[in-house]
Amino acid sequence: METLTCTINGTRVEVPKGTRIIEAAEQAGIGIAHYCYHPALSAPAMCRMCLVQVEGAPKLVPACVTQVAEGQVILTESEPAREARRGTLEFYLANHPLDCPVCDKSGECKLQDFVHAEGRRHGRSIEPKRVLGQDDFGGDILYDGDRCIMCTRCVRFTREISQSDRLGVVQRGNGSVIDTFFDHGVEGDPFAGNIVDICPVGALLSKDFLHKARVWDLDNTPSVCPNCSQGCNVRLDTRDNTVVRLRPRLNPDVNSYWMCDYGRHTYEWLNATERTDAPRVREADGESVVTGWQPAVVRLVERLRASAPASFILIGSPMLSNEDNGFVLRLAKAIGAGEAVYRSARAGAEVVCPGFPGLARRRDLAANGRGLQALGFHRTGNDEGAGGLPETAGHVLIVLGETLADAEPDFGSDAALFIAFAHQNSSVLRNADYVFPVPSFAASEGTVTNHEGRVQRIWPALRPPAQARPAWQVAGTLLAGLNAGTAPVDVARAFLGLADVSEVFAGLSYEMLGSRGALLREHAMVGSGRNR
Amino acid sequence: MAYPFRDERETRILSAHFGDPQARTLDGWQKRGGYGALRKALEMGPARVVDEVKNSSLRGRGGAGFPTGLKWTFMPKDDSRQPHYLLINADESEPGAFKDRELCRWTPHQLIEGALIGALAIRAQHVYIYVRGEFFEPAQIIGKAIEEAYAAGIAGPDVMGSGIGIDVTLHLGAGAYICGEETALMNSLEGRRGQPRIKPPFPAAVGAFGQPTTINNVETLCAVPHIIERGADWYRSMGTEKSAGTKLFNMSGHLIRRGNYEFPLGFNLKELIYDVCGGIRDGRRLKAVIPGGSSVPILSAGEIDIALDYESVARAGSMLGTASVIVMDDATSMVKQVRRIVEFYAHESCGQCTPCREGTTWMAKILRRIEAGDGRPEDLETLVDLSRNMTGTTICVLSDSAAAPVLSSLRKFRGEYEALLQRDEPVLATA
Amino acid sequence: MADERTPLGANPGHAGETGEFAHLSEADVRGSAYVGRRPLEGGDHGGVCSYPYQLPNRQPDAPLFEGPYAKRLERIRSRYPDRRGPLLPVLNLAQEVRGQLTPDALTRVAEVLDLAPAVVRGVASFYTMYNTRPVGRFLIQVCTNVSCNLCGGDEVAAAFLGHTDTEPGEISADGLFTVIEAECLGACGFPVAVQINDRYFENVTPADVPGILERLSAEARATGGDTG
Repeated sequence: METLTCTINGTRVEVPKGTRIIEAAEQAGIGIAHYCYHPALSAPAMCRMCLVQVEGAPKLVPACVTQVAEGQVILTESEPAREARRGTLEFYLANHPLDCPVCDKSGECKLQDFVHAEGRRHGRSIEPKRVLGQDDFGGDILYDGDRCIMCTRCVRFTREISQSDRLGVVQRGNGSVIDTFFDHGVEGDPFAGNIVDICPVGALLSKDFLHKARVWDLDNTPSVCPNCSQGCNVRLDTRDNTVVRLRPRLNPDVNSYWMCDYGRHTYEWLNATERTDAPRVREADGESVVTGWQPAVVRLVERLRASAPASFILIGSPMLSNEDNGFVLRLAKAIGAGEAVYRSARAGAEVVCPGFPGLARRRDLAANGRGLQALGFHRTGNDEGAGGLPETAGHVLIVLGETLADAEPDFGSDAALFIAFAHQNSSVLRNADYVFPVPSFAASEGTVTNHEGRVQRIWPALRPPAQARPAWQVAGTLLAGLNAGTAPVDVARAFLGLADVSEVFAGLSYEMLGSRGALLREHAMVGSGRNR
Repeated sequence: MAYPFRDERETRILSAHFGDPQARTLDGWQKRGGYGALRKALEMGPARVVDEVKNSSLRGRGGAGFPTGLKWTFMPKDDSRQPHYLLINADESEPGAFKDRELCRWTPHQLIEGALIGALAIRAQHVYIYVRGEFFEPAQIIGKAIEEAYAAGIAGPDVMGSGIGIDVTLHLGAGAYICGEETALMNSLEGRRGQPRIKPPFPAAVGAFGQPTTINNVETLCAVPHIIERGADWYRSMGTEKSAGTKLFNMSGHLIRRGNYEFPLGFNLKELIYDVCGGIRDGRRLKAVIPGGSSVPILSAGEIDIALDYESVARAGSMLGTASVIVMDDATSMVKQVRRIVEFYAHESCGQCTPCREGTTWMAKILRRIEAGDGRPEDLETLVDLSRNMTGTTICVLSDSAAAPVLSSLRKFRGEYEALLQRDEPVLATA
Repeated sequence: MADERTPLGANPGHAGETGEFAHLSEADVRGSAYVGRRPLEGGDHGGVCSYPYQLPNRQPDAPLFEGPYAKRLERIRSRYPDRRGPLLPVLNLAQEVRGQLTPDALTRVAEVLDLAPAVVRGVASFYTMYNTRPVGRFLIQVCTNVSCNLCGGDEVAAAFLGHTDTEPGEISADGLFTVIEAECLGACGFPVAVQINDRYFENVTPADVPGILERLSAEARATGGDTG
């Protein structure tokens, strides 16, 4: 691969031939302001924000399309370049309405950012602004034509990535506006929500997020979308311990910059109330009594030590991490031998993203089905994620994360011992002998494994109830109490401990996973085929 | 001869048959010597044709003045792997220009002959004649001429029995000045919005339908048969050293004898206005002249004693462009005319680039306000600043074209603007 | 310019037969004798593009691309190497039949060329000659750009508006006329230039306007056909 050397703002940069100036600059840590350019879309060079000065060139050149030449001297902060940006920003403000006080994008708006950084203090236009109006694009999308800066990222997204061809530029000149084919709308494009992300300003808005929260009130946490086995990297935006928004996070190997609308809009369940908030032990009279952690754990350990090896039924959760499911499985195996199952919903078909075919809304509608299979669980039940519950009479029943909402009310009451690691109350769990509160998905730190065997980290976005403890930690403590293993001191070590459950996980560590994940060793795949 | 007035001093080559209805027909054109050049070009072969046109120093007549022969050399030298296209830009929409319409409606076969020679030179198999949608009558005339050419075996699979196939297709635009820009024209031909493309890639590498393409203006191609017939030396003997040949000058505005006149490049502008066109109508005096169509800087009355060739007009601070000379008398309100010109650009902006999309409309609004007597002193500085931000910052030069009349009129007629600023009550300026 | 102008009412043909060529007939100047009657199926070879014929009978609901139009569609398609190239001529065909491009017409064009409807709408809305609203039988476009403006373009536009009693873009009460301002029509040597449907009228002064309108009305009466 041929490389070239250029100088950007005095810094020497070496890049492969064909690299564009804006990419070379990013490599050197120099950001060039831009609107229409997006790394995953074609570059039309029409916003004119990225004009930079190249020594020897008669005019400023657009950095997003101009390829680096050997020995080029590029200046992004020279007076001509700054003046051009200042001028272009003033042009935008000539017609852009001063909607910041009522605009959702405020706080994450690229027009605000660049004008604040480099724009004129006062726009000189005193003319009446052109009025193009608002439009409902159908689905979750609202369009405000007055705010639109005509970068056409949204149009190019629907032509190149989702390939639904729903959007186009209509009219010309200052009257240009984005529109669909009259009232066709964007409904039916399963990836339409991404255009709200890539819109630099508040012209495209999510109805779901409309006026919900100010972005500077939000915390955001990197995680993985739990709604199918694709494993899109996301950010959970939270406020007041509630998830208010899911946004995709870049992972070039999994989902690029995108996620599907199904995943994006299915987040309310992360905010379930009715949390299991304290350990409970069922007394002899059938009353379930709140206890402290230590008495509960001690009592259970004593009981388990006193029993002979038993058979177990373990119902795991594909909506919880490898660490949680893995350690609970280890606990089960310390108790005896038995069956480890999980249930998860499945869709009829995949929905593939034509412009990035590695991304699809998968059939398996849970985050960690593959991880559970790799650990040794197998899937049971139907495509609604119900049914398939095994007989529990005489077994030790361990339930992790499931509410068993479809079970008979007396499910588990005939078990020899019923241990529940729960984050949500339900009537069936009242039959449990021991209930241990654990964090839900959004409150967990750990890893999940996607359809192709990629293990990715999740971080906690919500605070669980104060008494909740990670399931891997509780199970680890119980194991230690049974002299069947060491309790991991942190989740990273818990992950390393998964190698003892399934050698498929051997050789991986959190350092190796980083923020983008790593694949399980292929030759050690276990489980009944590639259940997606 | 020129249309509609003749002048003995003219050098009538392209316009020799204006006003002669018989020259339209294939028969009439052949009787007047037509299609001999095509036959000669077929014998010469592509390389020699390109050389001849290069040596003639013919420059593109669509406004840019780029050497035509040089442009033809940018095309790949063999067509074995990709089709080549020749596009003819008959989208004449520049305010002040009306030469291509006359060439199309009086001598369509001159255009077709030039096009076929050009296609031969660049090894194009297909010629598209892009005619603006409003030119319905000239388009019908060209369409009929194309049919005559096919029927006579001049266009089609076997041009004059040479074994070379060249197809000619007429394609009408639909009302967009910007489609006169060569890359926007290609987009429009391809069935897209007529938005200019970024260069590189250049049309000769990636053009219409992704293939090597050359775009030439009507007047440029009409000169080609004459160059082939009579030779590069003959063509260079007219005009100046760097601006060879003749030009159709489009004379409009407050003249007594408006129309097209054909003179060698380098003809004096003052002589053209006063002697050839009879001077200013109604006994008025000259105030301003736009020498090259509305996109070029305005010249004041004292600046018109110049030769009309590319270099001299540039030295005078303007551009020859399409040689569309718009003459304004002393009753003209410069502010009103500049306002109208800027409104034109605002209407025609394709909307891609921010400085053009926003700047043309913004300047039009300011100028309307000034014209209505509601202007403020800072408006003039704003106009200058906006014009500077609109120059050299966009994909195509429509933005620069909107800025040029604003900057030049503010420099040379600032008093008119200031006079409007000082009024207390709103007054509509009269033309 | 009185000596150059044809006398009022004598021949409001206004085809630019002027100056030293005033002896030419309108047919000579327009070339209508040369082209003759153009076949609606389109001519042969490269001349098959869709001319924007303004048919007297516009049928807003007529089926598109049937009968002679199907043949023209195929001929047009044969001149382009891909399926998107014919879009502009095909839009012309649709407008020819219906007089305007409604959403339904655009949908039909998209179907027949296998293009996305939003793409077709984007292209159609870019160009001024595609009517998105109905217009009168005669669409009168008066150039008011600089060369004609200097010679009274605004006054001619006002005269047309006044004599048809319309606002710009409106259809007159009798359904015959719609008047709008146009940009440079490329006839700057013959101000004021006015395009009416597919014909240019040149050297037009406000005094010529009643005569032109009368000629058009007479034409409408003679050829019959629906208005609007």
